[in-house]
Amino acid sequence: MSQWLTQVIANASATPDFLAPVRQQALSTLQQNGWPGRRSESWRFTPLTSVEQREVKLATDIAIQQASDIAGLEAYELVFVDGKLTTDCSALSLPEGVTIAPFDKLSQDQQQQAAEVFGQIKPQHHVFGLVNDVASEQGLFIDVADGVALDKTIRIANLITQDVDAHTRVAVRLGEGASAKVLEQAEGNVASMSTAFAEYAIGHNAHLEHYRFALMTGQAKQIGGSHFGLGNGSTLNSTVVGFGSELSRLDMDIIHRGEHADAKMNAVYLLAEGELFDLHTNIEHSTPNCTTEENARGIIGDNARAVFNGRIHIHRDAQKTLAELNNRNLLLSRRGLINSKPELEIYADDVKCAHGCTVAEIDDEALYYLLSRGITRSKALVILNFGFIQELVNQIPNASIREWLLPLLSDRFSRMEVK
Amino acid sequence: MLKINNLHASVEDKTIIKGLDLEVKPGEVHAIMGPNGAGKSTLGYVLSGREGYEVSEGTVDFNGADLLDMEVEERAQAGLFLAFQYPVEIPGVSNMEFMKESVNAIRQQRDLDPLTAAEFLKKAKEACKQVQLPLEFLKRGVNEGFSGGEKKRNEIMQMILLEPTLAILDESDSGLDVDALQVVADGVNSQRDGKRSFIVVTHYQRLLDYIKPDFVHILADGKIVKSGDASLAHEVEKSGYSFLGKKYEEAEA
Repeated sequence: MSQWLTQVIANASATPDFLAPVRQQALSTLQQNGWPGRRSESWRFTPLTSVEQREVKLATDIAIQQASDIAGLEAYELVFVDGKLTTDCSALSLPEGVTIAPFDKLSQDQQQQAAEVFGQIKPQHHVFGLVNDVASEQGLFIDVADGVALDKTIRIANLITQDVDAHTRVAVRLGEGASAKVLEQAEGNVASMSTAFAEYAIGHNAHLEHYRFALMTGQAKQIGGSHFGLGNGSTLNSTVVGFGSELSRLDMDIIHRGEHADAKMNAVYLLAEGELFDLHTNIEHSTPNCTTEENARGIIGDNARAVFNGRIHIHRDAQKTLAELNNRNLLLSRRGLINSKPELEIYADDVKCAHGCTVAEIDDEALYYLLSRGITRSKALVILNFGFIQELVNQIPNASIREWLLPLLSDRFSRMEVK
Repeated sequence: MLKINNLHASVEDKTIIKGLDLEVKPGEVHAIMGPNGAGKSTLGYVLSGREGYEVSEGTVDFNGADLLDMEVEERAQAGLFLAFQYPVEIPGVSNMEFMKESVNAIRQQRDLDPLTAAEFLKKAKEACKQVQLPLEFLKRGVNEGFSGGEKKRNEIMQMILLEPTLAILDESDSGLDVDALQVVADGVNSQRDGKRSFIVVTHYQRLLDYIKPDFVHILADGKIVKSGDASLAHEVEKSGYSFLGKKYEEAEA
């Protein structure tokens, strides 16, 4: 067993809150499964050696911090700093039918509702998901009641400012016909180890606009995931952005639970020199007549490593499923590396399922076209490379988020070298 | 302006241009006609410097400089423009961003300050209007999902914005209906100021009813085989390329 995991378990086992039964269950699964071996398929390209023997560090002093400002975004701002929720949720002026509260401030009814989400959507095999089940004392419960359309975005920032171990959790419930926008954003670059998981129970005919921005860089290690259970006729539009760091891993699970649900996910990753980003996505079609469209595109800089694992599982009863998965990668140098693996498991016969995966260099014809208009070669390469991911960024439904993100990405990109 | 002397060029070891001579003076419009496979498009690519088009012999002087010694982007910055027959689609790069970058790259070469976003937008809107493309085409990806005619108009719009001294139009008329043809021709004619020159490459005489050439050249098998004034184009229109011999007659049939 890893020293780190042993310490995490030792520190966490004294959390006697309303989630104790799930936490206990997770603990015994963890103890049973132990630390993933070096041959574990889900960690094959993302070595965990740097976490394995880490000394757990608990935060003592927390400084109040704000997440970077997104101009024009109307949002309820929720901030975790070094794993502790620093926002006073009771001061938020929320419309009727909307709850945003920390786990330790829930009424009995709310506890009941939160327990119906916590640990119920996220798959049980993910070792860090289980760690988070056990150790996430700090968590938020968000509930949007039936028929309530919440206009403002709920932004949940996870800021890491010092060398700590931090485990945060979000449980979201959208009632029947409700709609909400949630942005999960992680920032930090100091050596640290954090896990951040979120689960969304999306009710019948509800709509979720979702963003997961894993913007940790440098020595910050973060492992997290967002997991969605989709009810009848519900829709999900999710945008993932990943920067690389010493270790950055994201698991996204979309689970179609009802019929006629529609999920769209776009993911963009942009890895600078020497960084690692690992995106695992899993789409479960267990019911008929649902659709999924997933596009993941990455640019991999010098010596950086990207991992993309895209699984689509169409169960036997999931007839009339439409599922599309596309992963495209651009390598900026011969020393960059992408391990891309689409995994299709199809057990129903009347479905349409397409996948594609490409690793490319620059399109010569497009380059010639730009050069023939007087644009310099280096500028043309930037325009072409960036255009490749900008296409997905342009699809972000929220204009303020889009306009905030684009310069952030282009700044990062312009510092990367095309070799 | 442009002086081509005994040009020989090949693509993938196949010689396409075989000893071509052409002189274009400021303000002149030259039409180059010829049957399929004569090397018309190749000439445009060679002059613009496309990779894979090898010059084995001959010289090209462009305003006193050795054109063949310049990179693709340097040729454009020096005032050469090629309107493509099949412009490439570049999704994700907005037409507006693309054109602003190219206009400013060329302005920099001419020691002019770059245009601000607002200044550029004003110019781009005017050019858009001139070639009768809706303004939303500025926001779309470069040529992305454009029809054939829209792509051609987009090329002419770029020409208007870049103000080249020599523009080569590679079959800018192909696939256009009469209205679109008029738009393309008007775009070209609006740029004729007695100093700028044009090489209009076309398969049909039709475009030359709208853009009046000073000279018409017939290109066949990599060489200019006949030159004349605008009446030569009408001759071709009437009797085809039969005077070139049997080989081309069949090819055209």
